[in-house]
Amino acid sequence: MGIFDIYLPIAGMQFNALILIAIGFSVGVLGGFFGVGGAWVVTPALNAFGFPMAYAIGTDLAHIFGKSIVATAKHRKMGNVDMKLGLLSIVGSVIGVEIGARNVMWLSELGKTAARPDGFAGPVVRYTYMVMLFGLGTYMLYDYMTKDKRAAAQAAKVAAASRAGITLEPKKGWQLPPMIHFPASGITISFWTVTGVFLFTGWLSGFLGVGGGFIRMPALIYLIGCPTAIAVGTDLFSVLFSGAYGCMTYGVKGRVEIIAAVLMLIGASIGAQIGVTAVKYIRGYGIRLLFAIMIILAGTSVTLKQLEFKAAAQWMVMCAALGMCLVIMIKLWNGFKKEQAEKAAYAVKEVK
Amino acid sequence: MKRLWVIIFNLLLCSVPTLAWSAEGLDIPAELGKKVDLTKLSGINYFFAQWYNDNMWVYAAIVTALMGLLGLTIALVTDVFLKMIGMDVHKIEHHE
Repeated sequence: MGIFDIYLPIAGMQFNALILIAIGFSVGVLGGFFGVGGAWVVTPALNAFGFPMAYAIGTDLAHIFGKSIVATAKHRKMGNVDMKLGLLSIVGSVIGVEIGARNVMWLSELGKTAARPDGFAGPVVRYTYMVMLFGLGTYMLYDYMTKDKRAAAQAAKVAAASRAGITLEPKKGWQLPPMIHFPASGITISFWTVTGVFLFTGWLSGFLGVGGGFIRMPALIYLIGCPTAIAVGTDLFSVLFSGAYGCMTYGVKGRVEIIAAVLMLIGASIGAQIGVTAVKYIRGYGIRLLFAIMIILAGTSVTLKQLEFKAAAQWMVMCAALGMCLVIMIKLWNGFKKEQAEKAAYAVKEVK
Repeated sequence: MKRLWVIIFNLLLCSVPTLAWSAEGLDIPAELGKKVDLTKLSGINYFFAQWYNDNMWVYAAIVTALMGLLGLTIALVTDVFLKMIGMDVHKIEHHE
């Protein structure tokens, strides 16, 4: 028995407490920074270290619930949570998840044979997942790389219109009433657009069997028009509710190892403080770039798993998560040092 | 006339959720059906394991309430601590 080993009463085994705290910490940093739950990191990490898989998802959801409270509270202080939008997202998402899950059930029955017990569901879901991860990551990378060119083109367009004495009208989205104003995000948008977007993201997460945080965050940015930091905070607010529901559902089925969840929450709470604070020092497009890299690496991991390189897939996802945590912490440290230097320079100026 | 079309379109959109009832429900995980051996347990481990064996609903409620309370407590305590050391956060301006 190692010195950091702790007895997990529900799983009935000894497990290294430091590993649980470390997993929680890295997921906390990623969750606080990107607004995601992080289950795609936790499950392979727990599997790699020998945690019983029967309790992995339930324990993860339990810790995600606690962690998202910590991270959302901090994001709220920074003005990054649009609670009205977050609450509305739950309505569309829940219905969408239910439709997506039923579609998977239907696909499972279709083409079911002895050799293929999942029917067509298995391959369709896996390939949809890979296409979605690579497609979204590539689009976000393209968005980042062309942002300056697009901004210059827009500025030239405005200048040309101004010289010609024309006022350019802002592009209008679908304006089917009722229109709702979200003051925190600074947008006015059709109720049906918002509900439709979250119905779609909920459908995707139900269909793919994932939490959906990493689908909802880019949807908030690109389809709803939220500023990036608000998309992160609002997404975490939604994750809070799905985490609570997941914790209760899996708890009733006896699939939550409470001591492991508490240890992961301790690590995640520290990590979330770092991740959320880092948002203050990195501009929106910087967050999008890092998010794009992260989901492309996640897509690569899923591809490796599909090609039966399961160990490589696991280690890839853990290394990607740790690498991203390191980048976020370095950016936080540099941003903090710069802020302190600016404050010191300002103080010297004031004295003079 | 436009208002009438808006109402009709809204009603059609309201019927979309009925798609959710076209087949069976969500894939809720199966109950593990396991009992924890209490003989070598004591203290907090015994408390959790006992409820796990006796009543899964109470166990789930304890877990959910505990994670929520811990999350809130940690959020409050870290807020106070970070304020003390001058690392508190305030409302930020959103720059893309």
